[in-house]
Formats: sequence, structure tokens, C-alpha cells
Amino acid sequence: MTRKASPTIALFPEASFGAALNCVGIAQALRARGARPVFICHAGFSGVFADYGFQEYQLPTDEPLTDSERQSYWQAFVRRHLPHFRLSPIDQLETYVAPTWEAIVDTAVNAEAPLRQLLARLKPDAVVLDNVIMFPALAAAGCPWVRVVSCAETELPDANVPPYLSGLAADDPSREAFEVRYLAAVAPAHDRFSRLRADAGLAPLPKGLFLEASPDLNLLLTPTIVRRQRAEPLDPARFVYLEGCVRSEGPFDVPVFPRNEGPLVYLSFGSLGAMDVGLIERMLAVFDRLPARFIVNVGGLRDTYRAVPDNVFLDAWFPQPSVVAKSDLFIHHGGNNSFCEALRFGVPSLIMPYCWDGHDNARRAVETGVGRHLSRDGWSDEELENIILGLMADGEMRFRLKENAATMARAPGTDAAAEAILALVRT
Amino acid sequence: MQAVARRPRTNHLDLAQRILDVARQCGFEAGAHLPEQQIASLCNVSRTPVRAALRLLTEKGVVRWEAESGYRLAVDLTNQATVAADLPSAEEDELVEMILRDRSARRLDQTVTIGALMRRYGAERKTVLKALKKLTDENLLDRAPGQAWLFRRAPDDPEAQGESYEFRLLLEPAAILGPGFRLDGTRAAALRQGMETLLALPDAAFDIKEFQRLDIDFHGLIADGAANRFVTDSLSDHLRLRRLPGTYAGVNVFRLKQSLREHLTILDQLESRQYEIAADLLRVHLRLSRSQRPQAASRGAPALFGMISRPD
Repeated sequence: MTRKASPTIALFPEASFGAALNCVGIAQALRARGARPVFICHAGFSGVFADYGFQEYQLPTDEPLTDSERQSYWQAFVRRHLPHFRLSPIDQLETYVAPTWEAIVDTAVNAEAPLRQLLARLKPDAVVLDNVIMFPALAAAGCPWVRVVSCAETELPDANVPPYLSGLAADDPSREAFEVRYLAAVAPAHDRFSRLRADAGLAPLPKGLFLEASPDLNLLLTPTIVRRQRAEPLDPARFVYLEGCVRSEGPFDVPVFPRNEGPLVYLSFGSLGAMDVGLIERMLAVFDRLPARFIVNVGGLRDTYRAVPDNVFLDAWFPQPSVVAKSDLFIHHGGNNSFCEALRFGVPSLIMPYCWDGHDNARRAVETGVGRHLSRDGWSDEELENIILGLMADGEMRFRLKENAATMARAPGTDAAAEAILALVRT
Repeated sequence: MQAVARRPRTNHLDLAQRILDVARQCGFEAGAHLPEQQIASLCNVSRTPVRAALRLLTEKGVVRWEAESGYRLAVDLTNQATVAADLPSAEEDELVEMILRDRSARRLDQTVTIGALMRRYGAERKTVLKALKKLTDENLLDRAPGQAWLFRRAPDDPEAQGESYEFRLLLEPAAILGPGFRLDGTRAAALRQGMETLLALPDAAFDIKEFQRLDIDFHGLIADGAANRFVTDSLSDHLRLRRLPGTYAGVNVFRLKQSLREHLTILDQLESRQYEIAADLLRVHLRLSRSQRPQAASRGAPALFGMISRPD
């Protein structure tokens, strides 16, 4: 391959904020090194990447929804799944995980033809895929593709690593039961996915797997402090661990609170978790009696809250890395992005997962002593109060996290990712 | 409970600001003499309040007193923003800020009463009444039946923000294209200077509050330039809503800087009297600022979104 001064790197994150913003961080580092990062995105994410100054290429959708259809979809989605988010990981397999895999396969099927056309037109020097499913068009693009493992290290199976989405410890005796039930639950989606691969000339993947490792480069967003000892170590030539992947954001001025004293706590359950208004309202009632200030991300649902306590500030969106950097505690859903941001700035995590990789990251936070886990359901006011106060008073954890944050700051994951990608296209 | 601190009287503060506006419009430079009688005539008031307002400006270093010649302007008024920011706020202004902040954070319900506000802020009845009058004058609040006041809808949710952009897309280019549009050159020069200074700051030091001020001033400059007073009034009323807390949250520095560059390009065209080009650029600027963010998305959920507009 010829060496280009400004290679075009097409980043293709899935339609979630976590993946989108990881890729923004990598793209910022690529741009700083003279590359031309561009984004392939779903119509719903239009504007997110342009906002950071990147060219966007939308994947066309055949049937865009009207505003009222969109609203109805989300109302139905939340009504259907909120009860499931309170179930254990194993009980979510049939209720949430299997239908979600079906929807993800739908996405891959629908994207295949337009993605092929777009890649043929773009002719990128590499494609960076931050997703949980393979798009066969990438294998046919005629350039290297890079996989970003951004949910949790559990995405890559190993005997010493717990099953993906299980929230179990590696040596948990119920591991096998989870695996059996997982394979059964996702089998229909996997069969459909295998047919998509076969149509595109790709071999099927082992049962339960929807995405293979890239033959070229794989980036794992797993900081050292939470990394696992694998039975079969990953080949360092193809697998690069990153110390997170935190993007640059503008400054954040902490608002003045009517009760303006005490440590700062940031709460964000991501865009989907923000819809769990009942849970957040219960938490606000506890926050009201704590000697701390709370910044709470409520997405577009601010109007559903009333009589918010004087030590709480609600808003629809925050420049999260800049907020976490000023916080003393981060309460989140265990999304890898949030988890890595907490680690990057040396802030303890209180993880209240609702689905997917949140369970795995919550387990790992407890195992490695970088945070605590609280289930979304079944906690008492006293329990929440004690866990928040306990985390804020845990000097030993804070000291260790600050030391680790300094290590992470010295080796930004975004820079390491950009270097590895550029080394690949310049080989 | 949050007590409201003692502040200068509103009428003195208003007059101080009016004196500065008049001095700027008359082209007074730093060192210019400010005779009390002339200022009183220009501001249509008597000399007594002028004296109090000039004393206030002297305390802030904007005006200096010389025993032999009286008051003189001590600063360059082309840097008008700095002067305005240096003036203290009145007691009710501070209360207004607290009320808006607490409403934005949903600590206050949509309906408020005088008694509840007096208790919450430890303020006197007359201060609360003045604050409510100010909020009513600015179209942020309506008097409801009985002793209640009702907050109007603010552009702090995606749907309202979308409607706000639609409104501005209709009216702001029309303000430029209507016959008789006039650009205030002095104000434009001060704005340009402010925007260039802000643009030169590194991302980490970017001042979002200063951006908000410049953004509102820039669009206010266009509104005030319209020859049609109804267009000016409608736009000015609407722009006031953009001063509310929360309007500028969550926008990254890249877009804010891009937005400043767009403002500067529009200013170039306005100063060259290329009004049609300026109006076209303004439309593009507003459309870019209205771009969409997803409202909710997760693993496997289709990428659906609601609009969360960005400041321009």
C-alpha cells in the first residue's frame, strides 16, 4: 500500500453515544496527526460528529420515521423494557438480550447494501468499527478494518473471562448454566446472521458470537487496572489494549447550588437510562438529605421533575469528561465509556447497571476495588445513602484511583489508538 | 433559604447604563467631558439622578471625577461589554437570576406565588414584586388568576428549541433584507473585537458565558438594525429567552468556535452592505446551529432521536 500523507480513516460507530464518543476521541487524535477521519453514521446520529468538526456520511434508511412514529416507538420501548432492566442478567436473556440481538441483526442486514456502496465511493485507507456485530461489507472493502472492543473485555471469550453480559465472576459455578441459556436465547438471531454472512461469502461464526476479531488490528478499551489475566493471552501484534479512550471536551463550570456545600457527585445513566424517571426521582429524595451536591443528567425529560432539591442540578446534556474531572463520585450504568472516564479522572464509580455490558463492568469494578455495585431495584434509602457516603469516605480507594489516573493520563488511549491505526495503514 | 443581598437602586443602575449608551452613540472617547446638565438633557431626566448614576460609574472606574472640570469618561466605550459587566446588579436583578436558575433546574414549579418566593429567598415583598414585574416585562412570566404567576414556556426542551429556530429563520434574515436596515458600526466593531479575542483562546480556556453574551449581542445587533419596529420588538423579545440558564449547555467548543467564525463572516458582509449575502449566510448559520442530536439510543435500539439544538 502506498503511504499517504493524509490517509482517510472511516470510523463507523454503532448508534449509541458510548461508541460514538469513543470514536470522536480516536478521530480527534487521528486529525491531530494529519489523517482525515470521517464518520459513517446512522441517520439518527447526524450532526453529532459534525459538531466536533468531522465529515459525516449517513447510511440511507428506507423508511424514516415521522416525529409522532418516533415518539410512539420510544414510549412503547420504555414501557416494554423498564421492567426488564430490573431483572438479573440471566433473566434478561429472553426478555431483553435476545430481542436486542434480533434488532442488531436487522441493523446489519439493512446496512449491508448502502454500506458497500458508500465504502466503494469513499475508498478509505482503513475502517474503524466500534460495534458488536460484523458488517460483511467491511471485509469486502479492500482495506484493513479495525475492531474497537468498547463494551467490556468479556466481548472476547476466554476460559478465565466470565461470559459476555453475564455479570458473573470468572469462576462462578453458574457460568455454564448462563452460557447454555444464552446460546439458546440468541440462536434465532444468530441463524439469521449466519445467513447474512453466507450470502456475503463469509464463514459462519461459532454459536453466540456475532463479531470476529479483526485480522488487522483490535483495540481494547480496557485500562490496566481492570484488565483480566487470560488463559490464552491475546497476540500483542493484533490486540492493543488502551488506557480508555476519553475525548476532549470544553470546560465545565460547576453551577452554583442554593445549597452549595459538600463533595460533587455526578449521576448519568446514559440516554436510555435517563428514561427511568421513577428510579431517578427516588434517588433525588435520598440526595436531598445528603451533605453533597449532585449533578444529574436527565436527558430530554427535565419537565417530568418537580420540586428538585436545592443540592441537585438537572440538565439534558453535559460535557461528561469535563464534569467527571471535577466530581468526587460518579454514579452511572456501567457503560464502558462512563467507566473509563471515571478511571481516567480517578473518581470512584457507583454502578447501577440496567442491561448489556453494564453488568460486566459493575462486577469488574467491585473485583478490582474501583467502585461499588448497586442493583437498580430493591435498595432502601439507607442503603443508597450509606453506599454513597461510604464511597466518598474511602480514602484508600481514592488514593489508588488517583495514582491510576495519573498513569492513564500519561498514556492517553486516544493517542495509542491513533498511532496503531496509522501504523497499520502505513505498513 | 437564600437571602438576597443589598444592592444599588435599579433606577440608578438603569440610568448609568443609559448614560453609557448615550455617550457611545455620541462618539465620546476616553477622557471626554460629561457635563451633568448635558447628560441630564440627553437622558431626559433631572440632574439629581444623573449625579447618583455618575457616582456609581465613578466607583466602578468607568468615569472619573476631577475637581476642576467635573466628570470625565475614563474608558474606551467601544469595549462596551466590559463596562456593562462591571456594573453591580440590583437586588431584584439578583433575585430574578436566582428564580430563573431554580426554575431551569426545576426546583421551582411552573406556578409560583409571592409568599412562597419571599420565604424561599428571604426577600421582602417589594423586592419579589419588582422581580416578578421584571420577569413579566421580559415575557418570561404571566400573571395567573389569584396570587399566582405562571412561567412561560422556555426554549429548554427539544421541541421548543426547534420552534425557536423556525421563528428565527423566518424573521432574522427578513430583518436584514427589509428596507432601511442599518448596522450600528460602533457596536459591530466592539462585537468583532470580542469575538476575535474569544476565538483566540485555547479550547481549554474557552469562556461559554462570554460566548453567550456575544451570541445574544450579535443577533440583537441584527434585530436592532431592522427598520421595521415590529420586527425588532419580536426578535428582541425572543432573544431575551436565550439569556435563560441552560440554553447554552452541552455544546462543544468546536461548534462554538465555528459559530463565532460564521458570525464574523456575516459581519463582513453586513459591513460591506452585501445584505442579500449576509441574509443567506445567516440562514445557513441558523440551520447549522439547529442540527440534531439523538435523544436516545442503545445497543440494538434503532437510532431514533429528538432535536436538541445548539446555540448559534
